[in-house]
Amino acid sequence: MLIQILLPGLLLSGLYALIAIGFTMIFSVGRVLNLGYGAFIMFGGYIYYQSAQILGLGKVPSFVIATAAGVLLGLIVYVILIRKLKGDAIAIEISTLIFAIVTQAAIIVVFSPSPKSMWPLIPGVLRVGDVIVTYNLVVAAVTSWVVLAALFLFIGKTHIGRAIRAVSMDPKGAVISGIDPDRINLIIWGLSGGLGAMAGIFLATYTQLAPAMWVAPLIIAVAVVIVGGIGSILGGLVAAHVIGMLETITTTLIAAELRGVATMLLIILVLIIAPKGLFGKAEL
Amino acid sequence: MFAKGTNKGFLGWMIFGIAMLALPLFASSATVRIFVFANYIAIFAISWDVLSGRTGYISFGHPFLIGIGGYTTALLTHHLDMPLYITIPAAVLVTMIAGTLFFLPALRIRGTYFALVTLAFMELMYGLVQVVAPDITGGTRGLTGLPSIVTGAVSNYYLSFGVMFTLGLAMWLLIRTRLGTALGSIGMNEEAVRACGLNTTKLKLFAFTLSAMIAGLGGAMYIHYLGSIAPRGLFDVSFLFTILVACLLGGAGTITGPIMGAFFLTLLLEFLRPYIPGSERYLIYGVATLVLYVLQPRGIHRLIQITVNWFVEGFMRRKST
Amino acid sequence: MKISKSSKLLLAVAAMLLGSGMSGSSIAQDKDPIVVGYIGSFASDTGLSTIRGAEIAIDELNAAGGVLDGRMIKFVKADTREDVAEGIKAYEYLVESENVDFIISGSIDDVSLGWLPRMAEYKTPTLDTWTSYVGIIDLVVNEYDKYKMYFMNIACDEALATLYIDFGKDVLAKEMGYTSTVLMYEDTAFGVSIAGLVEGLLAPEAGIKISEKIIYDANTVDFAPLFNKAVSSGADFIYLVSSVRSQVPASQYVKLQVPIPMTGVNVAAFGQDFWNDTGGLGAGTSTLSPVPSVGMALDDRSAEFITNYKARYGSERPIYPHFNGFNAYYGIYTAFAAAERAGGFAPLDDWIREMENEDLKLYKDGELWFRYAFWKRGEIEPRTQREYTHNVKFDITPPFDDGSPAMVVVQWYEDGSSAVIYPPKFATGKFQEPSWVK
Repeated sequence: MLIQILLPGLLLSGLYALIAIGFTMIFSVGRVLNLGYGAFIMFGGYIYYQSAQILGLGKVPSFVIATAAGVLLGLIVYVILIRKLKGDAIAIEISTLIFAIVTQAAIIVVFSPSPKSMWPLIPGVLRVGDVIVTYNLVVAAVTSWVVLAALFLFIGKTHIGRAIRAVSMDPKGAVISGIDPDRINLIIWGLSGGLGAMAGIFLATYTQLAPAMWVAPLIIAVAVVIVGGIGSILGGLVAAHVIGMLETITTTLIAAELRGVATMLLIILVLIIAPKGLFGKAEL
Repeated sequence: MFAKGTNKGFLGWMIFGIAMLALPLFASSATVRIFVFANYIAIFAISWDVLSGRTGYISFGHPFLIGIGGYTTALLTHHLDMPLYITIPAAVLVTMIAGTLFFLPALRIRGTYFALVTLAFMELMYGLVQVVAPDITGGTRGLTGLPSIVTGAVSNYYLSFGVMFTLGLAMWLLIRTRLGTALGSIGMNEEAVRACGLNTTKLKLFAFTLSAMIAGLGGAMYIHYLGSIAPRGLFDVSFLFTILVACLLGGAGTITGPIMGAFFLTLLLEFLRPYIPGSERYLIYGVATLVLYVLQPRGIHRLIQITVNWFVEGFMRRKST
Repeated sequence: MKISKSSKLLLAVAAMLLGSGMSGSSIAQDKDPIVVGYIGSFASDTGLSTIRGAEIAIDELNAAGGVLDGRMIKFVKADTREDVAEGIKAYEYLVESENVDFIISGSIDDVSLGWLPRMAEYKTPTLDTWTSYVGIIDLVVNEYDKYKMYFMNIACDEALATLYIDFGKDVLAKEMGYTSTVLMYEDTAFGVSIAGLVEGLLAPEAGIKISEKIIYDANTVDFAPLFNKAVSSGADFIYLVSSVRSQVPASQYVKLQVPIPMTGVNVAAFGQDFWNDTGGLGAGTSTLSPVPSVGMALDDRSAEFITNYKARYGSERPIYPHFNGFNAYYGIYTAFAAAERAGGFAPLDDWIREMENEDLKLYKDGELWFRYAFWKRGEIEPRTQREYTHNVKFDITPPFDDGSPAMVVVQWYEDGSSAVIYPPKFATGKFQEPSWVK
């Protein structure tokens, strides 16, 4: 019974961490919610589908193309929407929400509203006793841990990383020390777009593509940010595992239909009891 | 008692009221039907604006409040055959109680965090309606054949317009009193308001209950107009989107702005239908909204203000030469 | 040849001058058209099936000289985007702006329930081709005067479930020797009601014990914990009920190589596009399907409909109409046959009477294959002992020679082909366990 919860729970948590990371970054640095983040995820999934399954360009090139397209989309959204709204948090949240709705409408026009299943990135299953997990999810979880570790190093060790941290701690102070916050934000949005698209590929190859698929991962990302607390990569990682495990435990032991309800209750409780999250601090 | 500029605004309300009263005389009943929807969206937008437009407590959970009101009256009429003059006030009352649920987190958090917790309320409700007692709530399919308050396009139009206009005008007057100013200053600096000796908790509770009251009334009347209720139509991102965007596109915090926004969105979508019947309509609708919003985040209200000022100034200049 | 605008105008003027000099036959051209409205989604396979079925029937009727004394049929459409409130607006639009005489619907359950009060208010004759919710039929049974203008030409879900129990008895229990199942269903009204019917009948009628029930959230991303739980329960097979995002459980079942067979209801597997949509990961899925389903042998008239459909829409999806495409095609024919006898869609009661008398039978090799008739008021279905007023006249009572079956069971094989596996009269293949099941 224990392995039935631990193994799938751990892997699902890894996927959730990957989904949430791009969202957390924007929230930590710019203090704004990118409600269009789900659109990055969906976009990555559809581009990969078009490239790998329809055009047959192969899995690795398609993965690169989709991630690059995500970076591009992140940059475009920043340049045409976010920069114009000059840090007005509400305006950015609303315009990114409209952006997500527009993306959904565009996907329906281009790809039809019918959901599509995708070939797994890595086919095959791993059997541990009675428990079955796909290699696809194993790879997603491992990728997620690798990406998070790389990001940790990037923020801590590189020059740009330190500049990002400076902006997240104190934007005005960063300007005084010669950092251009606009450039940092541009980098963050591009990075977030790419990470979102990458998460989208794993999510979509695991589940399916559908024009409304942006909502669920957005809610997961929001939950991770709230539970982990803003500005904490480590907190996000822990929160993703708390939520992933909670879902698996609810599904396996309590009642599968309460999966979503449990996550929502957790969000509400954390926000009321510890609004800063479990690991909240003011910096990245 | 009221802030300056009230008289000029009052004139605007009168023109708006007379124009709307006359509408069914020359518009087809198809157009009148569209305006009924616009009126209801406007009521929801007013409710949102009272809570969020000025206080800085952004609600992403208004469909939750509207849904509570709707479900209360739907269940009471459907299962117990209770008359509407009991169920609608009951729905308003229940919604006001539910509104205080919103209020609890607001004691500690605000802004984006508050928005998220209200969003979680909406999603929670969506999950619960389907799971808990689906034989009573109708589950995902919802309930149909609910009684209507009045029948026919024109009577529903006057009913919905009457309620919308009364609520709108009352709230517009309210924000021009000292109470309204105090609420507005919460949005700017809550600590400073408290420092002035005002009880911000009481002020917030007032705004929340008032907003919930309007949402409950609007929600109850809306579902009796529709004649049916389903979770997918209520606790849904696209319904939230319509209310939020109506307020922000119209100009939050002004009461008149959200009404304009509600009318603009509903009419835009419906008038596009004969020309672009398919899914491209939503794409154009979304893009138009996005462009308009990014160009003027303070909304249609502000655009109209700018235009009016421009004309007035032009007129003055010509007069003085 | 392209005709310029001005020459078109000239032609029109000339035609009018000629027309004014003549009388009788040519007046038919000037008669007001009969307007048929479509309500449903414009982009989904479900919606497109109904639209195209209706379009083909209407074009055939128009080409044959029109209906009701040579009047042409005009087809107008209103998009619901599968949204409840949009559905209500769409219904209002059809009646108020387009003045439709008759509405054909490809709506899903909650959307139909949403516009039902509008239908009752406007009293517009309406035919549903997709939703099979028995609750709507109950409304017609219980409040006939209010909802009498409503017809549904797909067998309601209760009939579907009843016949499905026979499959359990004849194939799953008798042929395969299964004795226990895990009932796994989504928490939607559809899932709960089908599962309820199955639960009540499977054990007493087919002798299959339900060893575990798993209700899951319809937005579930990850079915691995659910399948793991199902496998560890030790049951012989999984009975899945899924209508929302049904490709997910089907494809994850294949991706995870779940070692026990799975059958049940999978709405996505109703369409020929299922195989491509799952990226070839649909193997093993078997589902009950309303008729006519994929993989089903067709009578001559339906086969001709498919030929026309393919010629007209080619590779545009859905490449093969879902059952409701056939229902829409025959629905238009039955509605207009009734209208011809009643002298039009108004007075309403005349049309309803004639629609109730409508009986379109399709034969294959001398055998009754499909039937589009409706249960009349007060008529009792012998097996379930209840009324199904204005639902299509399905046949769930042995010896099954009195009408269309309520459903068939379809299976998708590992090579991407599909076949009807039950009932025996319509079967084109046999039930098979996937190769990874030991």
